[in-house]
Amino acid sequence: MHRKARRGRRRAPKRSPVAAIAGGLGELLLTAGVLVLLFVGYQLWGTGIQTAAAQSDLRSQFALQIDNEEPEEVYDGLELGAAYGILRIERFGENWEWLVVEGVEDDDLKNGPGRYPDNVHAGEIGNFAIAAHRSGHGEPFAKFPELHEGDIIEIETHTGVYRYELDTAPNGNADGNRINITDSWVVDPVPGEPRSTEPTEARLTLTTCWPRWGSSHRMYASGLLVDVEER
Amino acid sequence: MYAWMWRHLPGPWPLRLLIFLVVLFAVAVALFLWVFPWVEETFEINRVTVG
Repeated sequence: MHRKARRGRRRAPKRSPVAAIAGGLGELLLTAGVLVLLFVGYQLWGTGIQTAAAQSDLRSQFALQIDNEEPEEVYDGLELGAAYGILRIERFGENWEWLVVEGVEDDDLKNGPGRYPDNVHAGEIGNFAIAAHRSGHGEPFAKFPELHEGDIIEIETHTGVYRYELDTAPNGNADGNRINITDSWVVDPVPGEPRSTEPTEARLTLTTCWPRWGSSHRMYASGLLVDVEER
Repeated sequence: MYAWMWRHLPGPWPLRLLIFLVVLFAVAVALFLWVFPWVEETFEINRVTVG
């Protein structure tokens, strides 16, 4: 046998160049496949871990806001990413509730549904708007197409509890209320009217991505304030 | 690539295997903490806002 001849540092077995290149290419492809699978794992499950932790932080933050003795100051000092309120949508489940954050940047939305910071506050005249993920990051709006006209959307802030009744929604259609990325009119003070139009009604608008696992378009639902319980 | 790594790792095979697994784990952690969030943001695959 030739065993004794192989001493010292191990060497690569001799292969023809073609075999070496094919083998290397094969390893690269396998590695790429594993990377893609890992990324899918990250999107499906990895992002949710961070979101769950953030939600529990936000919940304690919100409890402090409720205890605040000067309610007016809460909105004034609200920074992007801070707790804003609790969103409840019975259509998504009886105990479905998410802590809403201030802001709609990626860094805000990875922690939960976010309030468009340039829009009015909950309960005010104008368009109070919220965006949330439908895939990954806890996927709060996973069942978004199931929203129907007439559904009640509840938002609790440190000032009170506000209920809105949807007057436009996907109504169970997977492509319902699909809009383009640039259709920012849905979050205008009076949707469909020029941005400068003075609003007279208190409206809520929700946005998310379309399709669920992509973001070539957006989806929305909207409704008017029907019930208020001031704190 | 992997065969090359294996040949250059020191020690007997159980130690090599351990080092190999630790390296793989470190790579996976780096991917989840930095690379994947960067990919998600850069390629805008998960946007939910209008405008």
